[in-house]
Amino acid sequence: MENKKMEELKASALNSIKNSKDLKSLEEIRVKFLGRKDGEITRILRSLKDLSIEEKRKIGPLANALQKEIEETLNEKLKQLTTYNLQLTTGIDLTMPGKKVSSGHLHPLTIIEKEIREIFKAMNFSVVDGPEVESEFYNFDALNIPKNHPARDAWDTFWLRQNESKVESKKLKERLLLRTHTSPVQIRYMEQHKPPFQIIVPGRVFRYEATDASHETNFHQVEGLMVGKNITLANFKFVIQEFFSRLFKKNVKIRLRPSYFPFVEPGLEVDVECIKCSMRMPEQSSIRKAHANESCSVCKGTGWLEIMGAGMVHPKVFEAVHYNPRDWQGFAFGLGLERVAMIKYNIPDIRLFCSGDLRFIKQF
Amino acid sequence: MKFSFNLIKKLAPGKYDKALLVEKLNLHSFEAVDAGGDVLEVSVPPNRFSDAASHLGLAREASVIFGVKLDDPAAQAIKFDHKDQGIFRVNIKDKDLCKRYLAAYAAEVKVGPSPEWMKNVLETCGLRPINNVVDIMNYVMLETGQPLHAFDADKVSGGLVARRAKNKESIITIDNQDFELDNNILVIADAKNVLAIAGIKGGKLSEISAKTKRILVEAANFDGTAIYKASAALKLKTDASVRFSHNLSPELARIGMFRTLSLLKELAGAEIHPPVDVYPKKQKSDILRIDADEINNLIGAEFKIKEIAAILEKLGFKKKAAGKFETPLIRPDIENIEDVAEEVARFEGFNNLKPVAPSVALGVAQEEEIILLKDRIRNVAVSAGFDEIYSYSLVSEEETKTAPAEIFGVSDAVELANPMSRQVAVLRNNLASGLAKALKENLRFFEEVKIFEIGRIFGKTKNGVKETNILGVALSGKNAVLELKGFIDYLFRKLGIVDYFLPELNLKNKLVKLNESLRIETGDHHVLGYLGTLEGMRGAVLEIDLEKLLKTVDEEKEYEPLSKYPSIIRDISILVDDSARVGDILDLIQRVSPKWVDDVDLIDWYQDEKLGENKKSLTFRIVFQADDRTLTDSEVDKEMAAINKAIIEKFDAELR
Repeated sequence: MENKKMEELKASALNSIKNSKDLKSLEEIRVKFLGRKDGEITRILRSLKDLSIEEKRKIGPLANALQKEIEETLNEKLKQLTTYNLQLTTGIDLTMPGKKVSSGHLHPLTIIEKEIREIFKAMNFSVVDGPEVESEFYNFDALNIPKNHPARDAWDTFWLRQNESKVESKKLKERLLLRTHTSPVQIRYMEQHKPPFQIIVPGRVFRYEATDASHETNFHQVEGLMVGKNITLANFKFVIQEFFSRLFKKNVKIRLRPSYFPFVEPGLEVDVECIKCSMRMPEQSSIRKAHANESCSVCKGTGWLEIMGAGMVHPKVFEAVHYNPRDWQGFAFGLGLERVAMIKYNIPDIRLFCSGDLRFIKQF
Repeated sequence: MKFSFNLIKKLAPGKYDKALLVEKLNLHSFEAVDAGGDVLEVSVPPNRFSDAASHLGLAREASVIFGVKLDDPAAQAIKFDHKDQGIFRVNIKDKDLCKRYLAAYAAEVKVGPSPEWMKNVLETCGLRPINNVVDIMNYVMLETGQPLHAFDADKVSGGLVARRAKNKESIITIDNQDFELDNNILVIADAKNVLAIAGIKGGKLSEISAKTKRILVEAANFDGTAIYKASAALKLKTDASVRFSHNLSPELARIGMFRTLSLLKELAGAEIHPPVDVYPKKQKSDILRIDADEINNLIGAEFKIKEIAAILEKLGFKKKAAGKFETPLIRPDIENIEDVAEEVARFEGFNNLKPVAPSVALGVAQEEEIILLKDRIRNVAVSAGFDEIYSYSLVSEEETKTAPAEIFGVSDAVELANPMSRQVAVLRNNLASGLAKALKENLRFFEEVKIFEIGRIFGKTKNGVKETNILGVALSGKNAVLELKGFIDYLFRKLGIVDYFLPELNLKNKLVKLNESLRIETGDHHVLGYLGTLEGMRGAVLEIDLEKLLKTVDEEKEYEPLSKYPSIIRDISILVDDSARVGDILDLIQRVSPKWVDDVDLIDWYQDEKLGENKKSLTFRIVFQADDRTLTDSEVDKEMAAINKAIIEKFDAELR
């Protein structure tokens, strides 16, 4: 008789556990069978004390086993239900999109500039600033870019309207222009500071140029200058290699080519290997063209990206700031921010940067 | 500049093809591209026109790169047909503008077509073959880099004079253009006429024709600056003027002359006379002390003096003594050890240079304060949901007449002397009008637009230009100006500025509404900027001078002890006349209960027809707090009664 009752109890308990659909009904089942006050199994166990020794021996183990089995089944079901519920059935449908966190966006050039500053700061470079309206002296003369020389033609310049008669009569000391590069800050900084030092100068520059997908009337550069007793071209190579590897987050290959800027000697152009087609160019290859990925929109199939002008500071530049060129040497470089951003983010048109179009800005 | 690969290879014969030459020129000399066929496009830098803007120059580079011999035709001996120079005079009147003048007389010239090989070189380089005499002049220019000119000797009366043009003097050039000259322009003239604009273009009068029999060949050297200016003044750029503008070596004139004469003899059957050489101030060759250590110290390499000497000798340097080298006359660009170091380093290969970490004393890397301030403001603005834009510094004049720019002292806009168009003719004197424009444009794509820009604005001053860093912020929406007010509060709190005022702007302008605009002032009444509701659209804008803000930023923040006693919060809703100012009501509440009112905020307001005409409903939340104990409800009730009474009396308010 007792056996039969136990069997029924067991079947009823296990069945209702099996059929329960949520945590609430599961808890009800637990209370019904195992509840401390009034649970059916609890009651049987509690009633044991009133039974004979024989009956105790008979029913005791059975009831204990049943309690254990129900407990285990309950726990298993509980586990099942909690996972299941998390996925599907509790109040919030978690397949819904997350609530939008609304925050603004920095301009991509700000982001790039900041990254560049961080990298150079980690290499002990200070960050300095300079004016966008410059004098002819700082923008050209002091940088060994002579008047009435074709070398100056490389910088198409916006000149400011000034009272010509005052300029001619030297009442106005200086002819003003919109700086064509950040290099004048080299002069301004050296006039005020003694070496050794290393600085970078981010800033806006201007060129009198027809605009198209890769030309703008205003754009941004980062100038670099490091001067000391023994700063060499090999040092430059180290710093710049380090810089590009961190900027592009991989061990990017660089290539130096001879170039000409009047304020450096030797003068160099720095190329980095094309980030996009990441093609390894055999450096000594005579069949460069054949190897190149002609379809690459970034490097136009050359495998290299022209990215920076650089060189060792020209002795005449040191003379212009009254340093003795025999005492000091150093390197300088200039980098186009737009160019870096265009390479890094695959931006096809330089005119997007100043478009003010938030469909562009919000992507960064 | 275009070059013929075949000619370079003829001058520096070796086992290399065009692709390899292009590759190597790029790595060791100049930027070069294969322009198809025989054509090489090479960018010769401005300091290398004397020695390298020529086939011989590129062949010399190739000879060093590939370790092959230079086969220099100009080095061959020349045999003159006559010992005398012929009867003509050469006179340099202006020795500053004309540094050297070689002229040679050649007779029995047979004008006819040039040989195919010469025509090919000319065509590769973009020149049209004309006849053998003219072609030889052009060819020798391409080969040696020295511009040359030939006069029909029978059209020249007397001799050749290099002199400044007289004012209003004119010339008709070989291409039938009429130029009026002036005193700054050098000409080549005879006793009667101007025969050529020196270094730029020859004249019609003495042009070589099919009938020409006797010629005068000119190989001269002119001052680069003078030619550059004359060419700009006449708006006349020629192959010759471009070359001379770069300051060629006078030595090139000699090289070019001898090469021309030997080709005239060879290809036009000319009987050649030795040239007259007027050379008032001979170019001296430089002797440079060349020390391997000095070069290595600059480059950071370990070149041996033997390697250095080998490269230099190939480039035409002559060893004079141990460590002393004479620089080639055609290399005026070589002035010091840095220049020599470049020659060595580029031929040894920049890419073979091992990177070396610089060893410097440890210093603290610093960023200028204004740069840091800009960073912080950007971060604050972005955290408040604003997107950053950049806009152009060059704008139209109209755009400089909208904002109240006098607040920053930049109302007088800076104009360009050479604008590209009227739309971009002046420097911006505000960021606000650009932001307003961007606001409008972006509202086509977004329901709500919140933007900011940090940039420079400019204004004319008595003796120059004022340039200052500005923050501009703009956003769309009905009560945008209040949101901006909130933004200022947020920004200033983040920057540690607690003491500021927002009095009325009171400046007439087209950008913001006069009755909905405020000035931003520091505690000691320095004007930082302004904000206001935009005219003509739902939105508001603010501008703040960052240089001034920088001086105001006070980093001092001090901990205030947290109150140990709970506060009591009461809301009060009132109906008042539209003219009642919320700021005054807030002040009043504080004043009525100065001891216990910890904070008052306007938490809701609206206007509705149902409220009655010119009425608005305001709800304030007042926080009561005592420092020393827990306030009781009855104490606060008493305070509230006093506040209510004061508001009703002062503002004719109705409690709701």
